This record gives sequence, C-alpha cells and structure tokens, in this order.
Amino acid sequence: MLETPNPSTNPRNLYTWCACLVSPAKMSKKPAAQPTLHKVIMVGSGGVGKSALTLQFMYDEFVEDYEPTKADSYRKKVVLDGEEVQIDILDTAGQEDYAAIRDNYFRSGEGFLCVFSITEPESFDATQEFREQILRVKNDENIPFLLVGNKSDLADKRRVPLDTCRERAQHWQVPYVETSAKTRDNVDKVFFDLMREIRSRKSDDSRATNGDVKKKKGKKMKCSIL
Amino acid sequence: MGPPPVVTGISPKEGPPGTRVTIRGEFLGTSVTDLIGLKICGCDCLLSAEWKSKNKIVARSGPCKGRGDIIVTTRSGGEGTSTVQFRGYHESIGPVKESAVWVEEAAPPSLPWGRRPMSPTTYIPPDPLGLSTEGDDCKFPEEELHEMFPDGSGKLSDDNFQPGWYLLEHHSNTSFEDLKAGMVFLQRKVESQKEGQLSFLKANTGAVMDQLDRLVLLKNMYEEDERKNGKEPLPSLQAAIEESITLADSLFSEILSRKDNADKTREALSLLTRHKFLFQLPASIDRNIRKKEYDLVVNDYTRVKNLFGNTDVKLFQKILGEIDKKIEDLKEKLYNRMKTMPINVQEQIKYIRLLISLNWEGDAAWVAINSRKDYLMSLMNKVKDHFKQKEEQEFSDKNKRKLKEAESEASAVRGAWCAAACGALSAQLHALWPLARRYFAGELAGEPTDHQRQAQLKEMIIAAVELFSDHMRTCLLSGTGSKNLPIDALRVRLVANLRHMREAYEELIKLDLPSQPLSIVEKVIFDYRVYGMTMFLQRAHKRVKGLAEKETWKIEEFTDYGAITNLPHLLETYTEEALSAIHKCVSGGGRREGVLLAEGGEPARAAIKLTQGLLLAYVAVLQDLALHLDDTQEFNNNNLSVALEQRIEEGASNSRSWQQRLLLAGTNAHYTRRVTLTNISEAFHNYGFPAPTEAIQATKEALSTLESTIAETYLEHKGDPLVGTIETSMDMGRHKTDADAVIDDARPYVYEIINNLIAVHAEVDGVCGAASSRYVRLICETVCEELARLAACAPGAELVAPQAAFQARLEHTLLHVATAEHLTRKAENYLMEALSTIPPLENEEEKKRMDSIVEGFKKRMELQLASLNCNMETV
Repeated sequence: MLETPNPSTNPRNLYTWCACLVSPAKMSKKPAAQPTLHKVIMVGSGGVGKSALTLQFMYDEFVEDYEPTKADSYRKKVVLDGEEVQIDILDTAGQEDYAAIRDNYFRSGEGFLCVFSITEPESFDATQEFREQILRVKNDENIPFLLVGNKSDLADKRRVPLDTCRERAQHWQVPYVETSAKTRDNVDKVFFDLMREIRSRKSDDSRATNGDVKKKKGKKMKCSIL
Repeated sequence: MGPPPVVTGISPKEGPPGTRVTIRGEFLGTSVTDLIGLKICGCDCLLSAEWKSKNKIVARSGPCKGRGDIIVTTRSGGEGTSTVQFRGYHESIGPVKESAVWVEEAAPPSLPWGRRPMSPTTYIPPDPLGLSTEGDDCKFPEEELHEMFPDGSGKLSDDNFQPGWYLLEHHSNTSFEDLKAGMVFLQRKVESQKEGQLSFLKANTGAVMDQLDRLVLLKNMYEEDERKNGKEPLPSLQAAIEESITLADSLFSEILSRKDNADKTREALSLLTRHKFLFQLPASIDRNIRKKEYDLVVNDYTRVKNLFGNTDVKLFQKILGEIDKKIEDLKEKLYNRMKTMPINVQEQIKYIRLLISLNWEGDAAWVAINSRKDYLMSLMNKVKDHFKQKEEQEFSDKNKRKLKEAESEASAVRGAWCAAACGALSAQLHALWPLARRYFAGELAGEPTDHQRQAQLKEMIIAAVELFSDHMRTCLLSGTGSKNLPIDALRVRLVANLRHMREAYEELIKLDLPSQPLSIVEKVIFDYRVYGMTMFLQRAHKRVKGLAEKETWKIEEFTDYGAITNLPHLLETYTEEALSAIHKCVSGGGRREGVLLAEGGEPARAAIKLTQGLLLAYVAVLQDLALHLDDTQEFNNNNLSVALEQRIEEGASNSRSWQQRLLLAGTNAHYTRRVTLTNISEAFHNYGFPAPTEAIQATKEALSTLESTIAETYLEHKGDPLVGTIETSMDMGRHKTDADAVIDDARPYVYEIINNLIAVHAEVDGVCGAASSRYVRLICETVCEELARLAACAPGAELVAPQAAFQARLEHTLLHVATAEHLTRKAENYLMEALSTIPPLENEEEKKRMDSIVEGFKKRMELQLASLNCNMETV
C-alpha cells in the first residue's frame, strides 16, 4: 500500500467519492456565478499593523486603539484590472500565543502579506520565521508573498534600514513595499499586487496538466505518510 | 428602501458562545434604532448587539455551533447578506481553560451511593463498522467537512447525519478492503437486530435463566424478612436510626464544638491576614510618621479609606476611628510643621500637598503663605530689635571706649543689620512669591480663585516690603552715629549697604514681583543714594568749614591772580573728592533704578543747594580768616622801611602780619572765583552731574563782595593812617617856609607820600602780584582826595604869595608825575580840582624852572618811581 499509492485512498478522490453521496440539490448551493476568490493571509508579529492595513483597505478607516486580533475574516468584491474578483482576507494573530494554530490558517492561504514595522527590528526579525513556516506549510517556494514594511509615516522613528529590508526581499525573491496604514500609503498597492500574483499563479496552475497536479499530490501524500 | 446590509468582515471569525464579535460591512443601519435584527449562525444576537456606525456592529455570539452567516436586518435595507462566516464551537470547560461564559465553579457533590446520570455528551456510541479507530494524527480538517456538508453532522445520533462526513472524519485513511469488511459487519448487525425478540432470547438463554434464579432468591429473602420483622419494619428502623443519631451526636459533639472553635479561630486568623493591612495600619502609620515618610502614610490612608471607608463592621470602624485620629494628629503635626518657620519652601510645599491629600479642611497653602509673611515680618522686627539692642549696647559701653570707636562699631552694626534685613527679605520673598504663584496657579488646591486672595497677597507683599523699607530708613537714613566716621570707612559702609540692598532688589526683580513693591524698594535705595550724596556733600561742607584751621598762610603758588595759599586747592580737592565719592558710590544706578541726579530732579536741586552751602561756607571761612582781627596783632602801620624789612618768604606762618593775611585772603578769593570755581563746575560736568550754575553764580557774587570788603578793609587800615599823616607833614613844612627862599624842591611830605605809596605797593605786590594795582590805585585815590580836600581848605590869603603857589603847583605836579601810572580818572579829577585852587604860574621863567625841577626830580627819584611803577597793569 505504501509503495503503490492507491487512488482510492487519496483524500481528494475520497472526497469525490463522498460527494456522490451528497444530494445534487445541495450541490447547486455551491457558489456558481461567484467571482474568483483570492485568499489573502496577513501574517507578522503582534502590533505591526496587520489589522490596521486590513481595515484601511476594507473600510478606509484607521483604528488608533490597539486590540490584539485572534483571527478575523474579511471578504469583499474588488475590481482587479477590470475583472471583478473577491478578496478574502484572513487577519491572523501576531501574538506568539497563537503560533500553534497558525499552521491550520496558512494551509488555506493563496497569498501572504508578511508585515513588519519599520520601527521595530524585532518584528523584522520575526518575518524570517513566518516565511519559513509558510514555506513549510505550503511546501511551495513560489507562493505569492509580499514583504511589507508598515508604519512608513513614522520615518523619524525608523529603526530598520531600507537597504536591509530590500536585501531580505531580494534574497527571498519577493517584492518589498513600504506602507502606512495611517496615511493609506501603498495600502491598495500591496493587496492588489498580491492578488495579481495569486491570479497569475492560478492561471499558471490551470494551464498545467492534470497529471502534473496528480504528481504533486502524490508527492505530498508521501510526505504526510512519512 | 436603502440597499440591504452586507457583512464583509468578522472579528474574530470563530469562538465559543459569548464571544465578543465585531461585525463590519456596509449599510449596517443608519442608527441604533434602524438595526432590527442580527443573526449569527442562526442565533438571534440582537439583544447583545451594539450599533457603532453604519459600518460596524459589536455583538456577542449566541449558543450556536458550526459555521454560519451573519445576517443583519435593518429597517431601511431589509435583510442582508454576508460574505464572511462565523464559526461557533463549544469548549469543554476545564479548570485551566479560560471561558467567556459563566460556569458554576462548585461541582455538584458526587454522591458515592447515588447514581450519576450519564451525560449524553460522554456517551460514545460503539463503532458501527467494528473497525478499530485510528489515531488522531492525520485527521481530516473539520472546516473542509463543514464546507462539504453545510447542513450535515458527523454524529450517528443526529438527525442530519451524513455518512460521508462520518467516514471522512473517522476512516479517511482506512483501506477500501477494510471498509468493505466494516460494511459486512454493519449489515450483519442490522440483520441481527431485525430478527426480533425470539432470537434475542435464544442468544441470551443463559442470562435469562440466571435472572429468573435471582428473582426467586429475592422473593424468598423478602418473605423471610417479613416473617421476622412483621408487616411494619419501619418503626424499629426509625428507632434504631434515632438512637444511632443520638449516639453519633454525643460522640461527635465535643469534636464538632472543637472543630467549630478551630474554624472560628481559623476564620479570625484568616480575617486578620486578609485585613492585615488594616490592622497594622495604625502601627505602620506611626512608624512611617517617625520615619517621616508621609507619602506612604497618605497612600495607605487613601487605600484604607477606599477599601473600608463604608464598612459596617464594628471592628473596622473602630480601627478606622483610631486611624482617623492618628491622621488628625498627623494633620495637626503637618500643619504646625508647615507653619513653623523657618522652613524650606520645597518642604513646605510637600507638607501642603500632604495636607491636601489628607483632605485637611482649610486652605493649607494660604495658611502657609500667611505664616510665611508673618514670619518675614517678625524676622524683620527681630532683626531690627537685635541690632538696635546691639547698637545701644555699643553706645552704653562708650564711656569705656572712645566715642569714635563706638560709632564705627555702630555703623558696622547697622551695616550688618542692613545686610541681614536684605538677606531676610530676599530669602523670604524668594520662598513666599513662588509659593504664592503656585498657589494661584491652582497647584496647591485651596481657593486661589477667591478675588480677595489676590488683593490680600498683594497687600501682604507690599506690607512686607514697606516694613523692610521703613526699617532700612531707620537703619540707614536716620543715621546719627556715622557723623564722626572717617570718610573712607563711611564710603566703604555706604557701598556695602548699597550693595546689600541692590542684591536684595535684584533678587526681587528676578522673582518677577509686581512693580509696586519693587518701586518701594527702589525708593529706599534711591533715598539711600540721595542720603549718601548728601552725606558726602555735608562731609565736604564740614571739612571746608574746618579749613580755617588748615590755613597755614604759606604761599603755595604765585598765580596770575596773585599769591595763593593752599585753601583754594583744598577746596577743589574736597569738592572733587566728594564728587568722586558720589560718583563712585551712589551715582551709578543699578537695574531698574532712576538716575540719581536727573536734571531738575529733587536730588539734583539738593545737590546744588548743598554745593552752594559748601562754597558759601568756604567764602565765610575766607572772610573769617581775612577780617577776623587778632588783638595781639596790630595792623602794621609802620612806614616804608619797616615794610621793606619784612621779607615775605621768610615769614613764619603764624607770624604773618594781618594785612598780609588780608591780602592773601583777597587773592585766594580772587583765584577761587576765577579758577577754582571753573574747575569745580568742570568737575561736575565730568562726572555727568547737572551743572551747579546757581551755586557757582552765588559764590562768585559772594567772593566779589568779599574781595571788595577786603579791599575796603585794607584801604581803611592802610590808607587812613597814610592820609592822616599828609596834613601834619604838610603843616610841618609850611612853618618853615620862607617867603623869599627860592623853591627848588617839593616839601618832604611829598616824598613821604611817595615813600608810603612805594611801601604799600611793595607789600601788595608781594602778595597780590599783578592784581596789586587795585589796592595801590585805591590808596592813590584816597591820597588824591585828601590833597584835594587840603587844597580846598587852604586859606586864600596865602595863595597870594607866588612862592607858595609855585610850591603847591610843584608838589602836585611831582605827585602827579610819581603816581601817574596809578591814577584813576577819579584820582586825576581830585588832583585837577586841587590844582585849580592854585593860581597858575605867572611867567615862562617860572614854568621853565618848574620843568627843570620836575626833570631833576625824575632823575633823582628814578629808582623810587621805577619801584612804584613796576609790575603794574596799565590803567
């Protein structure tokens, strides 16, 4: 059984098997005409402004008071390069207390905004861990990912040099953008840039043959068993 | 109808019932009342909903389970939709788990003999497929199950059971073969259930038989029991129970009572520990007060007030009463300490704050301000009394010592007084004013807004400053003791005092005091400066007055205006010294002070007046020196020879003759008028003082008068005897006159006159130099007047004699020739008048003879005439 992965034991196949048992009426309730959904996940240390960025993007408001997030979910329709799409933002907890449940969240993400505060070198250091965790969970080097230096309005308190940030982004081969949730500087840009990456990634995937996908799944399966 | 609400954001997206959820979206209602419905996962949450804005609602999730939409309903937009979902889940509450909902902490008593009903949630149904359950690893994600079966459930007992869910949840890794085996197992089980009761009995024959046996046994035992105890077993049972209760009670009553006591003790102990703080507070307050850590006391007190302020417990109230009493004492103590001077202002503020935090009734800061002011006042008075006493002591000791010494001591005492008072004023105001400022800035509670307070403070400060100024006036301005002080000491003292006051003044300016008190101090300083100026000038005046004794009659210098002694120079020096002292000590104004000698100001007028007095005193001295006739010294009325014998340079000062003194005084006056006064005027100008024009003018006039008086006196004493001799000499000669004798020379009286004139000239010239002509002229005038008088009195009969007429003409001519240089118009008129009474010469021969006699006279008398005319200003 281990040597020859049986298609019937594959969870995906099992799902399709089970789906047959579900009544067709319920199937029709599944989103049909809904626009494409891009799942974005905000990651980064506590207090760097993930929720602030999200709320600024979603509702154009800047929240002054700090309330640690547990896990927030947002979804709205936006127009991306003339095409109506849905963006689903999962705003995660930055606090270490929730580090254990991150894996579950990361699994569903299609793209990541890895946020740190340019006034807080510790938050910048932490991006390394987040990056590693994402790569481990997604098992994909080219996952859509943006390194975001937030709080650019506090330039006088800056403690993470721009060069260092760029260097790290280059090393990871991801774009680096500086934002300010307060002044809304580059806020739309990071979300839209990320969605574009996700979109191009998806079209790449759909162009790939089915066999490729299977191969990948097979690989993944092996890992999980091992 | 507006657009329907859309929920696009949820924070957090999952949680147990009661989670506080922030819902964001659009058109979530236009107002609180517009929101009429909120469902989270189907649970109505409107009750807990808080409408924040049209984009935000905060609510608490209901007892829902699973994933569901958030539906907002508004009056304006109707029922809405949601793009995000909330997932509710139940948490099993453990002792270490945080919970948002209320859970009864005390567990229900577990009765060992009772039977706990089995909780349905703990009921685990047997595995329907008969397959061993797999490990929890690699569990199928629950969320995906929810997504796949939105309305399903994985529980076998649920109505909406979904087999797919169950399989995915429990057997996602089971092989198809195993699943088939499980299917068979399940089918068999179902089959067996369908076979009915018979098959059930068949399958369980052994057990049924066993049960029947047991029942029979039970019946037998029951019957036996009934036989033994009768129909009614209960009374005996009850009696037994009651007996056992009594026994148990008697057994345990002691232990129980002991336990009760122990409990009470424990309770009391725990109470003590729990309220240790309260019980120990009185002691700790005492301790902290001893250690002067008042902040701690205040903190503790506030804490205890907050904690136990409203307690009904008698014990607490008692302790609180005790604490209150201590605090009252502390307040009293702090209050007294705050009031007790001297005290550092920081410390005082500390006490004030403490009093405020202890709710001291009253205006602590105001009391502090008042006490500070009172202290300042009393300090001032104390300083005054102290130094007064000291001064009196000095004076009472003066019989032992010299007066002067005592006075210098007294002046030193006054200086110290001044310094002490200045120090006290500046130090106390330095403390008082910032205190007041903080008070009025509202930092120190109280009622700084009271309007009277401002005015009162102002009055206080002004009163303090006025007291200070009064004291300084008594101390410095009403000085009696410093009259005999040496000038240098006086100056030093003055400068020192002034410096003390200025320092204090400077301090006050720095404090930013209002201008009124500042002006009072400034006035004192100014007055003291004026006083200093007056002192210097009076001192100079006094010295000038004493010049009389300084006069040595030694000729210091021959100036253009004659020989002078050192008097004019001394005058100049004294004035100069006084002016320089004024300039150095008091003229320079400090910060925010007026100019001492402003043009037209009161002090300037006083200065001029004093200067005038000084100069007039000088004039008086001169006059005194000149005109005071010493009885022992007679006016030197001797003739020429005596006058010539006296050598001016050799004369010892006291042996100088009176007329010489007179003349010297005259020249002194003259010199002073011409030179010294100008110098003094210039000195005033150089020091930047207003020019004492009036004083100079008055002095000049006085000096002129003096000069004329001196001249007249001189003339009177010198000229009168000279004139008196003329007549007698003339008469003496006339008796010898022979009518026939040829007159070839003047009579001796002429020569006597000339000789006398020469003597006068010599004397005057020796003293007055160029200015001597005045005196000579005056003498000549008198002589001429006398001659004219004599000529007019001459009997007419005698004039008939031509010889006599010739003689008279000759004599007058000779006199005219001799004194020609000194004759004023008046004198010449007198001579002409005298000549006119003499008949003119009769012939040329006579005239020639007279001319030859005159020529001879000139030749003979050349030396005399030269000496008479030398060193003369031409008329």
